[in-house]
This record gives sequence, C-alpha cells and structure tokens, in this order.
Amino acid sequence: MSVTISPVYLFNVERGQPEAAELWDAITDQQLADWEAEWIPELFKALQKLRRAGVERKHWPQSRHWDWRRKAAALQGILAHQGFSVMCNGLTQGMMFVDTTTKRCRVESQKSKNLVYVKFVENAPWNRKELLFDPPRYRGIGSILMRAAVELSHSIGFKGRVGLHSLPQSNGFYANACGMTDLGVDPDPDYSPMRYFEMTSEQAVAFVEKGGKS
Amino acid sequence: MRIEITKDWCIKMARLEDDYEIGAGAIAVDPVFDGEKAAADTSEQSEPSIAFGRLLRLMRRSQGLSVEKLADDAKVEMEELVGIEEDTHFRPKIRTVYQIATYFNLPQANLLQVARLTTPRDPRLTEEAVRFAARSEPVVALTKEERAALDAFVTVLSERK
Repeated sequence: MSVTISPVYLFNVERGQPEAAELWDAITDQQLADWEAEWIPELFKALQKLRRAGVERKHWPQSRHWDWRRKAAALQGILAHQGFSVMCNGLTQGMMFVDTTTKRCRVESQKSKNLVYVKFVENAPWNRKELLFDPPRYRGIGSILMRAAVELSHSIGFKGRVGLHSLPQSNGFYANACGMTDLGVDPDPDYSPMRYFEMTSEQAVAFVEKGGKS
Repeated sequence: MRIEITKDWCIKMARLEDDYEIGAGAIAVDPVFDGEKAAADTSEQSEPSIAFGRLLRLMRRSQGLSVEKLADDAKVEMEELVGIEEDTHFRPKIRTVYQIATYFNLPQANLLQVARLTTPRDPRLTEEAVRFAARSEPVVALTKEERAALDAFVTVLSERK
C-alpha cells in the first residue's frame, strides 16, 4: 500500500507544548496493530474504571464496540473508501475512514451534491477525557482528521463539503469547533439517535481560516 | 495525497478542540468484542433527578458562586450546569459529575447515584435525596432551613461505609 505522510503537530497536554506528528493518508497494518495492542487494553482499563465507579453501561462510550481491523478488512478494498491516521510518538493517535461515493449532501443550499462522508473517526483512548484520562495525552487529532476530510473533498472536486453522523458525546465538537450545520437526529434506524452534521463549502473555508490561513 | 498544514494551524485548532470527544460513525456495526450484551435503554433513563439539580444549586449558592464562575473553576461546561439545575430530566456527562464531586469534595460514586447515572445501590441515599428535594426550595437567598437541609444531605452523602 502506498502511503503519503504529511507533517503535522499535536498539542502535548502534559508538557504544554506542540509535538511533531504525522498525518498518513491510509490505515495500514501498523495502525491496526496499535489498535489491537495499545488501544484495546487502554479501553478495557477505562471501562473497568467506569464499571468500578458504578457507571451504567448505557453511559459508556458507544464506540467501544468498534473493531478497526474488521472495518479495514471490509473497507480497504473498496476504492471509494479511504483511511487516514495520525501518528505521534510512535503510536497511532487517531483513525478515520471516509466514503467518497455513496452519500449526498442534505443541506438545502447544496442538496444532492457529492460530499466526503466520514464513515468512522475515533481518537486513541488516552486522548479522551470522557474515558477518565485526565488530562488526555494529546489534543488536536479531531481537527487534523477533519482538515484531511476537507482537503480530500477539495481535491476530488467536492469543494470542501463533508458530512458525518456524530456520536452523541461528540456533537459539541462538530457544531462548535468545526462549525458544521446540525441537521438533527437522523430518522434512519441505522443511525438514530445520532445527529447528522454537514459542512458546506463556505463552512469548510471558515473552518480552515479558524486556525489561520493554512 | 500530501496535505499542507502549518504548525500554527494545528496548535490553534488543538486549543479550540480542547477536550471535545470526536467520535463519529454508525454505532451498531461491529460485533461486541468483550462478550457483553448491548446496553438496552430502560425507562429509568427518563426518571427525573430533582435532588441533584437542587444540591448543585444550593452548593453553588452557599459558596456565592455564579454558574459561570463555577463552570470556570470546576472546568465544566456552563450549559451542563444550567441543564442540571434547570432540567430535572437532563442527563449530565459522567465527567461533569466527577468534576462537581471533586470541586465540592463529595464522594463521586454517591453523587453519580444522586445524578441517576448509576443503579441505586444505597436505598437510604435515594430516600434522603427525595427528602432533600422535598425540603429545599430554590429561593434567592439561602435560608436557615435550606442551609440545614443542605448540610444534612451533604453529611449523608459524605458518609463512607
């Protein structure tokens, strides 16, 4: 598999300073091995903490069931699906799969146009405060992966348009940090009660400009 | 595909991203990996938590804190605090309850029960929460009775077995 690596930076919370990282335009065996050997054990520890604190399972993170190896096996062979990952300090810090073919825009101003649909995106457990990692190790993974989705959208002529179904605890990120349009709970039983968010071309420009011109 | 992103952009966006969760994607598409059954929602989810909202309001007022100041000091979202105080059906985030417990030096497990995020394990605490909710009236100034109710409930809440 051919992989292009772009230099990026994450914010190391403990040190309070930027740390060099890499954005890969793929999810390879290296990321999947990290998921198995590093993410899952940390996720288990986090679930144990939640369980021991008496937190009911319905409040545990919904993505705990996700099997990235299975996702990769199902999606890697399909040309319309592309993976992205963020690497830092020798470990996978976040992964994303996008679909560039099967979904269409829902926002009225760009209805039925093509968009990059974020099929799955997840942060490493140690970067998630909701899993009681306090402070989380790195910040900025979500923004870099969203930026990748926007740039991919531009590169294939979709003008920055991006859509996704947010996990309930992530709604704030997509509405506030990314400035996407919230189209409410999707009535489709495959997604309900998740909310659908869409980034218009204008919002994509605003998102990129939010962090400076580049 | 090479993507040019500057260091400044990454760091500015990391600050804006803060501690937001970022997960997206259909939930029920993978098999369960730890042998657990999918969690089913129960009617319990919609049960109101009057006591938690009242407790938070009185604890906050007893220390002369505005909602905004408490949100800043306890590092929680202001919307969460307003939701807890104003909406008895509001489901706070687990982290928010943890932060509130830490800020007011209350046992986290007991506070999670009062917030109805855990299955009630101590029926006495549930009874006391109901009693507290019944006795405490949200008025402008903290009255002697409210103070007594608050102190009594905090004592029960802080008892360790």
